[in-house]
Amino acid sequence: MVMDRRCRIRWATVALWAALVAVVGEGARPALAGDTLERVRSTGVVRCGVHNGLVGFAAPSEEGRWSGMEVDFCRAVAAAVLGNADKTVLVPTLASARFPLLKSRQVDVLLRRTTWTLGREAAFEVHFAGILFYDGQSFLVPREGPVRAVEDLDGATICLVKGTTHERHLADHFRARGMAYRLAMADSHSAAVEAYRRGECTALTGDASALALVASTSGPGIAGDRVLPGFIAKEPLGPVVNRGDEEWLTIVRWVLFALIEAEERGVTRERARELRAATRDPGLAAFLGEPPGPGKSLGLADDWVLRVVESVGNYGEIFARHLGAESPAHLERGLNRLWRDGGLLYAPPFR
Amino acid sequence: MTELQQTVTFAVFAAVVLCITTSWLDMAVAALLGVSALTLFGIFDHQDILEAARNSDGSLALLFGGMVMARVLEPTKIFDHLGTRFLRLTKGSGKRFLLGLVALVSTLCAFLPNATTVVLLAPVIVRICRQLGVDFVGPMVLTAIASNSAGMLTLVGDPATFMVGSAVGLSFNRYLLTMSLGGILALLVLMALLPLLVGEIWRLRRELPGDLVPEPVRWPRLCGVLLSVLAGMIGLFLVGDGLPNPIVPPAASIIGASVALLVVHGARMEPITDVVRDVDWKTLLFLFCMFCLVQAVVKTGLVERFSTSMVETFGTRIAVVAIVVLVGVGVGSTIIANIPLVAAVLFLVKSYFVIAELVPEEALTRSFIAWPEAYLPVFAAMMFGGTLGGNATVIGASANVVSAGICAAQGRPISFFRFMRYGVPVTLAQLVLGTLYVQAMFLIL
Repeated sequence: MVMDRRCRIRWATVALWAALVAVVGEGARPALAGDTLERVRSTGVVRCGVHNGLVGFAAPSEEGRWSGMEVDFCRAVAAAVLGNADKTVLVPTLASARFPLLKSRQVDVLLRRTTWTLGREAAFEVHFAGILFYDGQSFLVPREGPVRAVEDLDGATICLVKGTTHERHLADHFRARGMAYRLAMADSHSAAVEAYRRGECTALTGDASALALVASTSGPGIAGDRVLPGFIAKEPLGPVVNRGDEEWLTIVRWVLFALIEAEERGVTRERARELRAATRDPGLAAFLGEPPGPGKSLGLADDWVLRVVESVGNYGEIFARHLGAESPAHLERGLNRLWRDGGLLYAPPFR
Repeated sequence: MTELQQTVTFAVFAAVVLCITTSWLDMAVAALLGVSALTLFGIFDHQDILEAARNSDGSLALLFGGMVMARVLEPTKIFDHLGTRFLRLTKGSGKRFLLGLVALVSTLCAFLPNATTVVLLAPVIVRICRQLGVDFVGPMVLTAIASNSAGMLTLVGDPATFMVGSAVGLSFNRYLLTMSLGGILALLVLMALLPLLVGEIWRLRRELPGDLVPEPVRWPRLCGVLLSVLAGMIGLFLVGDGLPNPIVPPAASIIGASVALLVVHGARMEPITDVVRDVDWKTLLFLFCMFCLVQAVVKTGLVERFSTSMVETFGTRIAVVAIVVLVGVGVGSTIIANIPLVAAVLFLVKSYFVIAELVPEEALTRSFIAWPEAYLPVFAAMMFGGTLGGNATVIGASANVVSAGICAAQGRPISFFRFMRYGVPVTLAQLVLGTLYVQAMFLIL
């Protein structure tokens, strides 16, 4: 094991050189660039995990074109980061596969109607960037049936999708009230709907918005069925990113806030550019990209908010298009109204 | 990591392995150049180096401690003394020597870190071989292989078994009941192959001189003190984790080495500079660079991405999944350090179970240990692959690298292919055994 002097000198030289390379390499890395932003910029696409088929959130049209709130949010992120909302790759996924997909970095943002919970954020080591949709768990029941409230479901068979938080909420709610129930588990949302349509269960449980969409879009056998009033659990749905890339988290979070802020300021898809040119409000001008806009601190272009709104509209427009008045679902905004209208949507200041 | 960076990472790793296998470059230089290339391409930064150091599970500290202990004891002639005693026990029989060696290594490695054990036993093995007049390369390689195989004996025998076992909530005793038999069988396979691998030594019958007496130990009191330090270090390996202020094995190793150096300094036995100089820095450097390279490969996330494909391909046929995992991890471990590989495959397997909806999504988290008994064989397959796959090549496990480093320092360098002549037959036989064992577990559990 004895090294002679020459050998030692040789190794010391090599080690010093390696250390130098390490220092130089580190210095050359952009100080602000996180791995995800770097990857998105180099590949030119934002990859989003979305629902594998739920109208209003993410579903393909007959021509195979995907649309919905989740799709638009993904497009908004692409518009902010890449300046082009079409630079997205949508990855439709089952509920059970969503976290493996995110953790193995096959998607940059996970949407897929994912409920923000303490357990998920802490144990999966992820960050929820905010709340895109305030939802709650409820039940879809036949319109003419005897069930008028959750209490009427004692002893009933409930259809639900495996791998979601609904199973636990259901168990907790029923156990706390001493109510009995049986489960009819399905692999996917559509399978659960079909089981309900076939009468394999008394009620279908899920997020109230999804159930309302089922009632309004599923056709014979279900159309007109009722969603029971009230929630048995809160289901705040939001975009999720991996922990450890705070720069990317900040971007995704502020894209969401930008959509909300745009609605609050009355910035619409059609009028965004016009407003930017005409406004005398320095705050609004800066919001829409008049230098110095809000982009620099995020490592984005000054006019990123403008690009986002021009691409997908503000939050209210997105909601109306996919879930609200302009959609077949005709859902009420409910909790998803702006704070000033009695809802829960609130964006921190853009300054 | 961008697609280009992923491609560069795999290209660099492949180039390093190629240089090592063909001996175009010195192993350490090849690995160092690989790390340098990744750094220049912006793939590797100081965070990754810290991550690599963390994922190495303290291997370098363990080795450093073992190397210092072996070096400070060397001048006392204790190894010559023990070597002669061991030689007398063999009665000149190569067969006894080999079987005794495997038994001794297996016993020690069930509780002690593999590479450290190899470092500590190496001086004894080399002396016995010289006294028997046989090449020590074969026994040194077998020592490394036995040490890796013995890692299967207990939950703490190998970082891979510990990592997987902890992830599925296996206790020390539960491991003994379900997995240790697999480790014993793996060692029996190795013993059964000894006549084929080192037939010349196996058949050796040498008449030992009648007056063969162990060489007296120099500075017996000092040697006693140093052996006490060694015993303390080993004691800390075994119980340090349970102390109110836990001392993990790498820390115990550093503490042991520090105290040993203090003893040498206090006794004015020899300059500390000489002791530190003789530590095998090249092996430590090579291992660290390999940890960094493997860290970069794992960072690509490629392994984890197979989970969806596994569900699509194999559905819920978990017996087939177990074989795929065993073979995949086994083959991967031949060139990739098993700790980061097993960590990646652990996530892959957990993801597979979640996506296949065989367990709830909470199973992806670190705190979930309520795994159904029926799925244990898949994790057992990972342990077999991770622990035994590394036997195949010189870079498959730290103990192999250390063993090769010691042989080189003694003037008998081992080429990549020479190591494979011993390692590949053993690995193949042990992985076949592992497959059968795992399938038997499916029937029993």
